[in-house]
Amino acid sequence: MADIPVQAFTPVTTEHRHFRAVLIGISVFFMVILLFAPLATIFATALSDGWKAAAEGISSPDALSAIRLTLTVAAIAVPLNIIFGIAAAWAIAKFDFRGKAFLITLIDLPFSVSPVVAGLALVLLFGSHGAFGTWLIAHDLKIVFAFPGILLATLFITFPFVARELIPVMIEQGRAEEEAALTLGASGWRVFRSVTLPNIRWALLYGVLLANARAMGEFGAVAVISGKIRGETTTMPIMIEMLYNEYLSVAAFSLASLLAALALVTLALKSLLEWRFAGQLAATRRH
Amino acid sequence: MKAIAIRSPSPLPGFGLSFGIMLTLLSIIVLLPLAALLGRGLTIGPVELWGMINSRRVWTALALSFRSALIASLFNLVLGLLLAWVLVRYRFWGRKLMDAAIDLPFALPTAVAGIALTTLYAPNGPFGQAFGALGVKIAYSELGIWLALIFIGLPFVTRTVQPVIEEIDRECEEVSATLGGSRAYTLRRVVLPMLTPALLTGFALALARSVGEYGSVIFIAGNLPYQTEIAPLLIVIRLEEYNYDAATAIGIAMLAISFAMLLIINAIQVWSRRRIGNG
Amino acid sequence: MYIDIDELAKEFGTSRALHPVSLSIPAGALVALLGPSGSGKTTLLRILGGLEFPTSGRVLFDGKDATGMSVQERRAGFVFQHYALFRHMTVFENIAFGLRARKRRERPGEAEIGRRVNRLLDLIRLPNIGGRYPSQLSGGQRQRVALARALAIEPRMLLLDEPFGALDAKVRKELRQGLREIHDTTGLTTIFVTHDQEEAMELADLVVVMSMGRIEQIGKPADIRSRPSSDFVRAFTAA
Repeated sequence: MADIPVQAFTPVTTEHRHFRAVLIGISVFFMVILLFAPLATIFATALSDGWKAAAEGISSPDALSAIRLTLTVAAIAVPLNIIFGIAAAWAIAKFDFRGKAFLITLIDLPFSVSPVVAGLALVLLFGSHGAFGTWLIAHDLKIVFAFPGILLATLFITFPFVARELIPVMIEQGRAEEEAALTLGASGWRVFRSVTLPNIRWALLYGVLLANARAMGEFGAVAVISGKIRGETTTMPIMIEMLYNEYLSVAAFSLASLLAALALVTLALKSLLEWRFAGQLAATRRH
Repeated sequence: MKAIAIRSPSPLPGFGLSFGIMLTLLSIIVLLPLAALLGRGLTIGPVELWGMINSRRVWTALALSFRSALIASLFNLVLGLLLAWVLVRYRFWGRKLMDAAIDLPFALPTAVAGIALTTLYAPNGPFGQAFGALGVKIAYSELGIWLALIFIGLPFVTRTVQPVIEEIDRECEEVSATLGGSRAYTLRRVVLPMLTPALLTGFALALARSVGEYGSVIFIAGNLPYQTEIAPLLIVIRLEEYNYDAATAIGIAMLAISFAMLLIINAIQVWSRRRIGNG
Repeated sequence: MYIDIDELAKEFGTSRALHPVSLSIPAGALVALLGPSGSGKTTLLRILGGLEFPTSGRVLFDGKDATGMSVQERRAGFVFQHYALFRHMTVFENIAFGLRARKRRERPGEAEIGRRVNRLLDLIRLPNIGGRYPSQLSGGQRQRVALARALAIEPRMLLLDEPFGALDAKVRKELRQGLREIHDTTGLTTIFVTHDQEEAMELADLVVVMSMGRIEQIGKPADIRSRPSSDFVRAFTAA
């Protein structure tokens, strides 16, 4: 009796292998034309006049000041995000109070507000014709078209990122471990540092990665509030726009390739976290 | 603080501190600016507000933003489902790379995505030339807006549906086959209904994001009034003219759309929880 | 329908789930595949149902080779241990699923589907739960609904994988009786997998004791009790 070739049968819970091949083919096709080709274009255009031109593009005084500004904004926005994220997750996950669902909706709000509307709202609050305008002018404080405005816009946009990662993880972990530590006589801070933090560190890192990528790349909100003063309030994305509109492709794309490289590092670290610490990250994520 | 009175007692410390930090930052950074926007709208008055929204240029821009977002999100609904299915169920060379790359639109700054897509799909760009030969113009037309929004919204559906596909009980598919259901029937009547809530959530998230998208679109759109001018761009133009009232009017219209989307997302989640239960 | 299993073997990669096994099941029998986990009993059941394909050997239904027959053609009513009810469908829709999945010209009309589903709900003694969702049922009710769903396609045989495994002891006893009655009313060749020797001995006409992918003994419950063929069978069937 002849052995039956196993491959001849399609398992019940999958599609026919020709159909599978077609679906994989379609997926790869769209991934290439939508994601991989644009990514390759960034680096290819940056290097189209050689390494030297690309290096000049990112080392001009304007570019250097844009890089400095972007790094400064991220260096302030991300830690503030961490503080907010931990505070929000602690209050929401470890305590029961009324209006919690509404509060979570408010925290998510920046996800669905257009960055331009966010920028507009900040201009209306802090601009010279805005609600605080007169007071700010009287005290010689400048927010709109200045560094604080850029920072506030970035904070608005990145606001939910860390909290969003921490809340589900901390809810899942419950409060038994913290309560146990308390009964052993640990102080509140000690409980947080030695019990809570180790449990959430990978989710925290994950949220920080996403928040940082968004903070360094934010465009719409910053475009509205920065005033685009060259060398002063131009972040990297704004500088990229200006160079691109001046037809300085190589310079624009050299600067862009720095941000693209950051995106690639972010993705690599993110995938690493997902593969190594899947259990310690939130089960479902959607941003 | 009022909230302390309405919370259940807990032995854990730090509620006042954490709640205080959260509420303070939330108010300063998010709520106060949005309140300023709405407050400005109130001082302008509803009639004037409506007058400024009710112009052909604003309507065209709002309609374009909404229509393009809808089309792009519908496309992403199908493509996102396909990608999620392929990534979870099939094993092939390069799968992990593809899985990691899905998130690129989340990590890549929108302006960078915008100039890259434009370079690629402009009439003299490599893909633009190919499409041009077929008589299709992508960059500097509404198609370009769709393309940018498809890019921006791509991960939403895939990332919401993926975990649900991973959790599907294979026995449900097997039992459908033993009852005589063909593979196509099983996918349509057993698998698809299980994914519907996640699909709708992902779709709504992608839609909410693309309606307000600015950075990736303005490079590729062409930005012609009445044709390829999206609503956020019109806000920027009004602001550059120092016409704060007109900008406020469009901003409030967009905020209303965002709120409607948030409500829809919440309604979908409540509906699916009720329907699927936990059995 | 009578079933012949001829030198059936199954390998998963390098491990052998089934060594060549042979077995004849007479029409209308109620058979228990009894053994500890990893004995190959579930693999054998899944091969009969068309959910798994053998590495070598043949399966014959009524004397005809059915080895390569697709799962849909087999018309085997299969009940899973955890029932695999469709959570997004009501009990009625679950039971009607197999009828609605038929090709248009073989599909009964909606009125006929309604009649058949109600008859099955009566058979499992749960006449009024058609409108409920699986999440609103108890474990025992779910098991009976899964059984009714399998019966709705007018199967040629009934295959049950640990049908009582997920239930508590009291419900288990009741449902054993229920399965016996359904078997006697329908006269279907019925094969169930179990690791519980008491369940196999009480319910089955024929018990197949399996271990490590091999059949240790085939026989009537009383014979297996009185004349175990090996130390393994003696130890495993000792109450």
